Amino acid sequence: MPLASYETSVPVVVDDAKCIADKGCTVCVDVCPLDVLRISDLTGKAFMAYDECWYCMPCEADCPTGAVTVNIPYLLR
Amino acid sequence: MAMDQILDGLSEVSCDVLVIGGGTAGPMAALKAKLKNPKANVVLLEKANVKRSGAISMGMDGLNNAVIPGYATPEQYTKEITIANDGIVDQKAVYKYAEQCYSIIEELDSFGIRFLKNENGDYAVKKVHHIGTYVLPMPNGETVKKAIYRQLRRARILISNRYMATRLLTGTDGRIAGAISVNTRTAEILVIKAKAVILCMGAAGRLGLPTSGYMFGTYENAANSGDGYAMAYHAGAALANLECFQINPLIKDYNGPACAYVAGPYGAFTANNEGARFIECDYWSGQMMLEFYNELQSGKGPVFLQLNHLHDDTISEIETTLHKVERPTRGLFHEGRGTNYREQPIEMHISEIGFCSGHSASGVFVDEFARTTIPGLYAAGDMASVPHNYMLGAFTNGAVAGTHAMDYADNTDFADFDAADVARERDRVMAPTKREDGVPPNQIEYKARRLVNDYLQPPKVTRKFELGQRRLAEVRDDMENRMIARNSHELLRALETQSIVDCADMAAHASLYRTESRWGLYHLRTDYPEKDDDNWFCHTLLSKKDGKMSSEKRAVEPYIVPIADDEKDLYDKQRIRASA
Amino acid sequence: MSDPFEAYDDLDELDDRLNAADAGERRVAIIELANSGDPGAVVHLDRMTADPDPGVRQQAALALGEFDGPDAAAALAKLVVDPEQPVAHAAADAMAELKDPASADPILPLVSHSHAFVRMAALRALKELRRKDSLKPALDALRDVDASVRVQAIGVIGFLKLEESIPALTSATADVDPHVRRAAVSALAFSHLKPAAESITRALADSDWMVREIAAETLGTNTNGLQAADALIKALADEFWQVRLKAVRSLGKMKVTKAVVPIGGCIGHAQANLRKEAAAALGEIAMPEGRKFLEPIVDDADPEVRKNARWALQRIAANSATGS
Repeated sequence: MPLASYETSVPVVVDDAKCIADKGCTVCVDVCPLDVLRISDLTGKAFMAYDECWYCMPCEADCPTGAVTVNIPYLLR
Repeated sequence: MAMDQILDGLSEVSCDVLVIGGGTAGPMAALKAKLKNPKANVVLLEKANVKRSGAISMGMDGLNNAVIPGYATPEQYTKEITIANDGIVDQKAVYKYAEQCYSIIEELDSFGIRFLKNENGDYAVKKVHHIGTYVLPMPNGETVKKAIYRQLRRARILISNRYMATRLLTGTDGRIAGAISVNTRTAEILVIKAKAVILCMGAAGRLGLPTSGYMFGTYENAANSGDGYAMAYHAGAALANLECFQINPLIKDYNGPACAYVAGPYGAFTANNEGARFIECDYWSGQMMLEFYNELQSGKGPVFLQLNHLHDDTISEIETTLHKVERPTRGLFHEGRGTNYREQPIEMHISEIGFCSGHSASGVFVDEFARTTIPGLYAAGDMASVPHNYMLGAFTNGAVAGTHAMDYADNTDFADFDAADVARERDRVMAPTKREDGVPPNQIEYKARRLVNDYLQPPKVTRKFELGQRRLAEVRDDMENRMIARNSHELLRALETQSIVDCADMAAHASLYRTESRWGLYHLRTDYPEKDDDNWFCHTLLSKKDGKMSSEKRAVEPYIVPIADDEKDLYDKQRIRASA
Repeated sequence: MSDPFEAYDDLDELDDRLNAADAGERRVAIIELANSGDPGAVVHLDRMTADPDPGVRQQAALALGEFDGPDAAAALAKLVVDPEQPVAHAAADAMAELKDPASADPILPLVSHSHAFVRMAALRALKELRRKDSLKPALDALRDVDASVRVQAIGVIGFLKLEESIPALTSATADVDPHVRRAAVSALAFSHLKPAAESITRALADSDWMVREIAAETLGTNTNGLQAADALIKALADEFWQVRLKAVRSLGKMKVTKAVVPIGGCIGHAQANLRKEAAAALGEIAMPEGRKFLEPIVDDADPEVRKNARWALQRIAANSATGS
């Protein structure tokens, strides 16, 4: 069967100006229980790669620079 | 390297004690095993990252079942749990927990985990239940994982993050031999030989589909996909009382606890749309959930958590805890909807179904030493059968498992296993990555969980269960023959889907076996509406026999804390409806 | 294939990275030092307390929170006085997690610091360390101009549970700030001396309802609480139902028989929480006089009220059967 992609708005937002993933920080990616965050090859910053979020907060709470914001997933709001 | 690329690789390590799952029970098991024999190798394997994994990734807002001298006794607690579980309890394990949990609280306190204390530095235990006093709030409970992780690092435990265990290895002599796992970011296989294995893999919390439709908006941490239940089953271990589902009251849509244990001691309560209390049952139980369900179905629903009768200052105190610990996005959720505790009650609902001994009783069968039915295999926490564990039970029984498993490992050698088992498991794990075309795991998972809601959610109807089994068999066929995984992250989800479908099958099988109703809503069978003590005052054990799912009865162990007949009916009597 | 286990890093290599020109890189090195779990990391972290970048200093404070003992405490003591608020707050929170009594040494001098926040943070940390030599500075801090400092000072004194501090705690029950008074009343709970119970009893007439509430609750746990029975009975008419509720609970717990009728008077209150506690207390006291208040509410619309009423009637029946 052919596959199609399905667009969603993701709950976790990263402020690139504050993110220090390009300096070697991987805190948010490390602590996510669902492993949905990655560091972009293009920008060197963290981003939400998979919309599979438990809105649990470690990424935001543990980010050393306050770059991460967790929003409530749209379907639950 | 492209993101989550699939690499081909296999390596093997060995250790004395392997702990699978780094949430709550697992770290404590690993720590106690290592302290028992500092020279031994202890490996802690975790699908996510031990720092923030499991049900308590953001900590916990309180202990719900603390047995603290001066407030409750082990006898009293054992009685309470026995009654709340309609008598189907092996008391030895419950009693052992009750005896040991206070020393675990003190140990956690020494790790720097902060419990609520009064101005004399004594634990500020709160009364929530009618009879016992068991609740110890943790307004600063967000640091639990951090403090535990610190202890693991100090003890030099070998921590393996981002490895998902897929199957246990059993020796040719029937003893445990280790486990097979896969790296969730590279798909490389890691075989871990071990003398003893402790399963601490949490609830099967991704079983039912939340009513919001968001697949990961589950009551439990969505990473808790029931992998431990599935692994224990495939290894031949017995699983107890799986028909005793977990269903919890929660904030509607947000799907997190509201939380009666935090707000209750301050005077908040669950109310119907008339603002009146309706729950008659005392201890958290299936009976309580049935009363909740009935109210939702009646004209008096929806159900709310009522706080607006409390003083402003009291509400502020409750908010500090609720918005900082356990599920801290609660505050954000209420803000988004313009809900202020001071003005509006909070709309509540009941959760999707799952397996979790933390709140109910379904789990891998264990005795008071956390031993499963397979020699050398232990289980603790939300996935082991000691009922009403909660967080403190996971820590305490994890400690029991760790100590005993190291004792066992010290007196045994590695079991020999068939190398073909590893090859076979590698093929099974990697199969979705070898297909060119097929169905992605998210669709298979969604369909399986939607069927769980449609057919397996209580009230349980035999005809519906039979239809559900047939539909789930079709999904299984797709999963085994047509599921695809295009990167290692998708492979992780594909493997979790397999655990979910296994758990759905077990939920259906176990429920059909027990032809009575028990545990309130947890096992409410419309075609067998009565409790039948003559035939069903027993545990049920589900296991894999000759490759097939099979159930049998197991007698309840003689009580060590006797329950008088009038005490057995204590809750029933209080539950008598108002005659008016 | 890479090592499947988390590394236990070489501290010297990390130390080199602490010299990086970029603040972000220094922060990352600090995070790794914290993760090492190795107490040897403290000396390296200590060096970072003088970093020019406040973000790096804040990271150092968080990292030091992973360790205990006088060296970690000394480094935190440097950060809690930091002019940047986020740094000072992170250090204060980390200090509150210290458990090793020896950690008190570098913290004790901070109790007389010129900034109230520092004094408050120091006392908050000393509380859990329960060192006897923190009593004197804590007693002095009861005269602090800042109420949050005085609240923490009471904690230090209360945690030590020394009868010699009763006069000081007693004067604190007359503090101008209600939070201080509330803490002081609660801190008196441990005392076996009559003056302590008398101070708590006086607090039942405090102008602040939360002070009255804690007083009513504390009397139920204090050795001499029974002496306050009349005052507690009077508190059953408090304008706040929250205060009445705690008074009911304490009277029930202490089985004050003469309280049956006044507690029965609470049965008709509009607040179901209070009615429920009143029913339960009548059961705990278990005197036959309680029956007339309980019988009308065995079918109350509120399940908690009728549950407690029925339980109380059972207790009364059992009590008169045994004649005890």
